[in-house]
Amino acid sequence: MLRLRAVFEKKGRAKYISHLDLNRCMLRTFRRSKLPIWYTEGFNPHPYYSFALALSLGFESSCEIMDFNITEDMPFDEVRDRLNAVMPEGMRIVSVAEQVQKITFITEAEYSFSLVSDEPEKLEEAVHRLISADEILIEKKTKKGIKTVDIKPDMKITDCVLSGGSVDMVMRLPAGTQTNYNPTLFFEALRKETDIPFEPEKICRTAILCADGNEFK
Amino acid sequence: MSELREKIEKHLLNVQKPSRYIGGEVGSIMKDASKIDVRFAFCFPDTYDIGMSHLGMKILYSLINERENYWCERVFAPGLDFEEIMRENDIPLYALESLDPVKDFDFIGFTMQYELSYTNVLNMLELAGIPVFARDRGDELTNIICAGGPCVCNPEPLADFFDLFILGEGEEVNLELMDLYLEMKKQGAGKLDFLRRAAQIQGVYVPQFYKFHYKEDGTIDHLEVTDNAPEKVRKRIIKDFDSVYYPENFVVPFTEIVQDRVSVEVLRGCIRGCRFCQAGFIYRPFREKHTDTIVRETKALCENTGYDEVSLASLSTSDHSEIDPMLTELIDYTAKEKVNLSLPSLRVDNFSESLLEKIKKVRKSGLTFAAEGGTQRLRDVINKNVSEEEIMNTCRIAFKGGYASVKLYFMMGLPTETDEDIIGIAELAHRLIDLFYSIEDRPKGKGIQISISCATFVPKPFTPFQFEPQDTREMIEHKQKLLLDSVKTKKVKVSYHDSNVSMLEAVLAKGDRRLCQAIYTAWKKGCKFDSWGEHFHYDRWVEAFEECGVDPAFYANRRFEYDEILPWDHLDYYVDKKFFIRENQTAHKAVTTPNCRQRCSGCGVNKVVGRECFC
Repeated sequence: MLRLRAVFEKKGRAKYISHLDLNRCMLRTFRRSKLPIWYTEGFNPHPYYSFALALSLGFESSCEIMDFNITEDMPFDEVRDRLNAVMPEGMRIVSVAEQVQKITFITEAEYSFSLVSDEPEKLEEAVHRLISADEILIEKKTKKGIKTVDIKPDMKITDCVLSGGSVDMVMRLPAGTQTNYNPTLFFEALRKETDIPFEPEKICRTAILCADGNEFK
Repeated sequence: MSELREKIEKHLLNVQKPSRYIGGEVGSIMKDASKIDVRFAFCFPDTYDIGMSHLGMKILYSLINERENYWCERVFAPGLDFEEIMRENDIPLYALESLDPVKDFDFIGFTMQYELSYTNVLNMLELAGIPVFARDRGDELTNIICAGGPCVCNPEPLADFFDLFILGEGEEVNLELMDLYLEMKKQGAGKLDFLRRAAQIQGVYVPQFYKFHYKEDGTIDHLEVTDNAPEKVRKRIIKDFDSVYYPENFVVPFTEIVQDRVSVEVLRGCIRGCRFCQAGFIYRPFREKHTDTIVRETKALCENTGYDEVSLASLSTSDHSEIDPMLTELIDYTAKEKVNLSLPSLRVDNFSESLLEKIKKVRKSGLTFAAEGGTQRLRDVINKNVSEEEIMNTCRIAFKGGYASVKLYFMMGLPTETDEDIIGIAELAHRLIDLFYSIEDRPKGKGIQISISCATFVPKPFTPFQFEPQDTREMIEHKQKLLLDSVKTKKVKVSYHDSNVSMLEAVLAKGDRRLCQAIYTAWKKGCKFDSWGEHFHYDRWVEAFEECGVDPAFYANRRFEYDEILPWDHLDYYVDKKFFIRENQTAHKAVTTPNCRQRCSGCGVNKVVGRECFC
């Protein structure tokens, strides 16, 4: 049995597929591909596959991770091609390889997005004010109720440029089995910082990373 | 890319289940609009989740798209949240493949599956920016608003809104209409010319060529036919059902829909002749597909869609003459491929023991009986040939096999029904409980649960009960209370439908052209999604009827005379009115009619089909 890890894109119209629906969608994709995917052996056998991280509805991604097993040896590229031949529009397997690291290795995810505004210069100023503050407090809903957290120490801005009518940013946020921060937390904080109206657009997850800063494999 | 797409996407994350509004599903068919001669918008007047489950749409969608120069796309009613956004932001109703406005289409075809979706048609036309009344739409040859489906067997309440109706099965006639349209479009003809020619095609009913004249008592005096249209419009059927087109692929939705599985049609029509059942008569004659065809279609659809569940579609699957070998072959395939096979509309009585064993492996859903009537006398009246003995026998086997819950469906307000028949419902449930506890090896540690679900009887056109009055609300409420009082144990749960909804259903089902204005008025008052309990506004309907001078009781609660001209008498569904009269009389004597396989009851279908239905 081969334990495989696929990296796939979820773009365009596919960003409207919710995480729950993605599960069903992949099940049918596997069935259409006729790959010898490994089934669980319980009372109700079903193809085994799992996603490393959930992706919010409306976000695009170039780096989603899905693990699954196949029962016959075959070239990784063939697995990729057979899946791509039956994938819905906007979804594409970028690569297939053997699973190297454990899911628990994931610590961070990188996101890019554009903050579109009629007053981009002023918005950029507000962004800089916010990210240079000592702390960025936001209210986060948890299982135990609402708690106030400081996202500043965990938020790494790697890019922030003014481009036409928007402020384009790239940022890394904690992800994985321990803590997950969503870029929407940053948008909320920014809305508290400024009254300038803006709309976050083209939100895309661009990398899933490990503690050493390298991409998860 | 469609100009609308950007506008739509801007708001899509603010609505429930956005994947319903953007297309792009596996199996959806994309074409280059600039190379298309005729565009068909197939509209289902309810939300995506419901409409996408409709088999007829899947068949006709694929069939039209087989033609390179025709493009059929899907359109559904938006949910209320998205409708509000559409109206605020000038997003017109659009089709899911091209995301182009419905107004750009040559044909805008609705499938009318239930009466309570009528207001949604008007709402969708308005969202599309198309005048709802046919008379306001001008003579340019475009936007042919048409409808098919079971409800168009009496299309009169919708007549003012549509250019034409398609009676019967659409596999052939839809393409004939599109061909004619293309030919006349090239000639630069107008809409009226097109409709005149279209009316000559069998199965096409153009309501504007038929004028009703009424008597003083409100009944129909006579019908005036103009423009050379036929006196009687006869429905279309597919004679060679085994080789009729069937899609090899379905559109596979991302979001969960009501019937989220492969569906394979195994037979059309029904041999049973239950006297309340419209489907049992309007889809005649009974025709089957061969086992090989069914298995081939099942395999192709499972492989192409990736669905892991398949369901057999028909009015009564166990009436298929090859049911045993068919299920054996299907179960072999589905077990090997880890596909679930679900078998709705199954009568357990005519199965072999070995098959029962096999079915038990695949089928763990509930045990359901549509008994319909509480006493044998009433079941004889409605010709529902289910005997108490059969119910008891099947339940005995099921209880031994581990079942501890049974669902029973009944109708209330059936012709000739008395209090005794209502009490009979409760008594039947009580006897099932006694049966359960009399069985030694019943499921241990479980109590039995019987669910009784009571619908209100709605008389429908093209049934032997088309003449019957519906019970008034007072009568229904009395019966509902009586039933609740007759149930002596908490092991029996009773639920019933809102009788106001059933009354409206009867009015719309048996109505005539004078109802168009009332439907329009109700819609103007905000009525839509009438079949969704939370959106049903009975008071607005009552107001609409009053304002339009329509007495709903005239349609719902009046007995239609045998010799009266009915609003649907000029439509020919192959079953004679004389047969319905005969069956109505037989019903009142509480005498049953054997099913078509046992003995031909002379409904008239075989005369037109040109052969014996069973020989």
